[in-house]
Amino acid sequence: MHEPRHQFHENLRALEAQALDGLDLVIQQLDRSLESISYQDVELAGMVVADDDRIDGRYLEVHQGILSLLARQAPVAGDLRIVAALLHVIRCVERMGDQCVNIAKLVPLSGYEAPKDKDILDAIERMGRLARSQVSQAKQAFAGRNTELAQDLVRQDMEINRLNREIFRRAVEVGDNLDLREWAMFMILVARCLERIGDNTVDIAEQTVFVVTGLFREFADASNPPETARTP
Amino acid sequence: MIPPETTSKEQTDMSTGGHSERSQSPLQASASPPPANKTGHGVTVKNLNAYYGSQRSIKDVTIDFPPNEVTAIIGPSGSGKSTVVRCINRMHEEIPGARAEGQVLLDELDVYGDGVDVTAVRRLIGMVFQKPNPFPTMSIFDNVAAGLRLTGTKSSDLRHLVERSLHSVGLWDEVKDRLNEPGIGLSGGQQQRLCIARTVAIEPEVILMDEPASALDPISTLKIEELIDELKERYTIVIVTHNMQQAARVANTTVFMLDGEVIEHDATSKMFTNPTDERTERYVTGKFG
Amino acid sequence: MSAVSTSLPEISPRRRRTDKVMRASLLVATLIALVPLVLIIYFLIKEGLSAWSGSFFSTDPNGNFFGNPGGVRSAILGTLEMIALATLIAVPIGIGVALYLVEYGKQSAFANLVRYFIDVMTGVPSIVFGLFIYISLVINHVGNVSFAGWKGSVAVSLLMLPVVARAAEVVLQLVPDSLREAALALGAPRWRVVSRVVLPTALPGLVTGSLLAVARGMGETAPLLFTAGATFIASANLNQQMNSLPVQIFTDIASPRSAVVARAWGAALALVTIILLLNLIARFVSRRSRMA
Repeated sequence: MHEPRHQFHENLRALEAQALDGLDLVIQQLDRSLESISYQDVELAGMVVADDDRIDGRYLEVHQGILSLLARQAPVAGDLRIVAALLHVIRCVERMGDQCVNIAKLVPLSGYEAPKDKDILDAIERMGRLARSQVSQAKQAFAGRNTELAQDLVRQDMEINRLNREIFRRAVEVGDNLDLREWAMFMILVARCLERIGDNTVDIAEQTVFVVTGLFREFADASNPPETARTP
Repeated sequence: MIPPETTSKEQTDMSTGGHSERSQSPLQASASPPPANKTGHGVTVKNLNAYYGSQRSIKDVTIDFPPNEVTAIIGPSGSGKSTVVRCINRMHEEIPGARAEGQVLLDELDVYGDGVDVTAVRRLIGMVFQKPNPFPTMSIFDNVAAGLRLTGTKSSDLRHLVERSLHSVGLWDEVKDRLNEPGIGLSGGQQQRLCIARTVAIEPEVILMDEPASALDPISTLKIEELIDELKERYTIVIVTHNMQQAARVANTTVFMLDGEVIEHDATSKMFTNPTDERTERYVTGKFG
Repeated sequence: MSAVSTSLPEISPRRRRTDKVMRASLLVATLIALVPLVLIIYFLIKEGLSAWSGSFFSTDPNGNFFGNPGGVRSAILGTLEMIALATLIAVPIGIGVALYLVEYGKQSAFANLVRYFIDVMTGVPSIVFGLFIYISLVINHVGNVSFAGWKGSVAVSLLMLPVVARAAEVVLQLVPDSLREAALALGAPRWRVVSRVVLPTALPGLVTGSLLAVARGMGETAPLLFTAGATFIASANLNQQMNSLPVQIFTDIASPRSAVVARAWGAALALVTIILLLNLIARFVSRRSRMA
């Protein structure tokens, strides 16, 4: 005999899996958009833009699922926190997807055979790898209700922020070549997108802590430097 | 293609702390200031033990019911929640072989003290039951007046008091033209409101409700809940309910009981968003019951 | 999707037969039970109705060997008077006992003992009550008389008491506990709960039960023989011998005079009619209360 409300908890688990699997889609999109930046692959970039529909579709599905669950099951306590957190999480997934699209849209604009600065490109690739690992870790933290892993995301995010600043500095010093300068400007925008992706993973980390402890504390991130917000 | 600005988030502490905080939770939209002058009467149950014969059904229970608030007691069947409430107005001892030990303080007065008149206690602590029980041989008017007549209070003002009672439960307009018709001719929801009118007619200080809406249809249930919300302005209310959503809607604080003991006692919003005890969490999310 | 409609198995012929046999045998049993009832009523009416006349109800029996034997006025009056007094004794006490058992005694040892005794009393033959009163009140000339109407009332009341108590207990137990709880929770002392809530609610049932006890008491001959005695004259004085319908029938039926025998049948019909009327009133009252 199943425990009472078995069906409800099954549905909740399925909804969570659906939302978190969206993060896998984000990783896919991220990989491809970064590849298209590195190799100036306009076709690949086009695919990234088109595939964002999948992420948007998932957002709508999860959103509908949450509304349905709220209306019909009246979740409380831990269940309620999970449902509320999933709303945030799927929103983050959708935003991250949008950031990937933004990156991809910069590819044709930055020119077909534009000159590149190796240092900047390296930094972008490092940022990309970091962002990717953050997304993966965010999924792991939330699914495993692991507050330590969630906490750790803040540390990683600080590295992304540092790289962002470094790219900006490099871009400013890049020299007089007009084409190069233009390309560097676009790279600043790409870095910004990646930095935003990092911020979203920190959001997911905050939601993880909320689900586990019932407390919502803002982690240190770009808008909230570590000196002013002491994480618990 | 500038990505949108990330908005800054307000820091929200969703936990509202222990039940010592009487003010409203930040989650509630309307932040009405607490009333300045509470003329209400609080009840405190202290170290209460209740027995059916030799079997102890309530184990050393201590609960504080704040004045002019609604406190709900939830828990699975057999948790002792109805017994606690029946000990407050000393109805428990009407069952053959049943007894209670401990203190029940109405303000400073111990209801179980020596020489205390049980019937006087019950005039101060009224009770509404699960199944509406208007007196079948009496008219609507007589039912409301029954409390006054049964307690020997001769009142030339009976008509006025009955009218006032019926107004306070929102029944006046529905019955004002048929006060002499039998009380049992009303619908279930109306009958329950009639019983509440009967209880408030003698102007108690506390109203105990033992699953008052569980025998009613959903619309009547909501009307009763609204009534409870209004009544708490003048009375202290304790409600036993097995319907958690009802407790969530109606009560300021909630007590969770299990096997005759109090497991958790906290602001309702905390109890249903972030309970402290694992057993409470499992009960309210329906993992057992 | 296959379209198989719901179908039910057929009733077997064996079951049909069993059904019919069952119905037939129950019908036969009912008819057998009805036959004596119908015969009694038939004989009562056939033999008794002819004796009814104006003088039947307005004159007393006169014990004459010749001529008009008289009517049964004193018997009817006597029955009514004695039963009235018996009711006055048995009903309040019977209801009182029932109230004690239901409201206070409940399941205590003493209460169960009382219940047992009441059950025993319902089984005691009515003649024993008559003898008891004879030995205790009649022989000792209590009240300066031997046989008296009131002593007959006492004997009949003893008979009625357990009937009233039993019926009242059932009716009082039917009053839902929730009503008592409601009254107690309002702060009423228990006696007020009983008088203002329990009794009024049980009233129709109590009336019915009492009327049935009265009907029972009316028909008893044996106790009256030893206590009220027999006389011809009508009187309102209960402290002397009093006539009654059962006793009148008893003495008349042995008479060699056919007119007197006819009078006995008439009296029997009258008695049955009175009892029938009481039963109808009891039914009417209980139906009224059920519709309320």
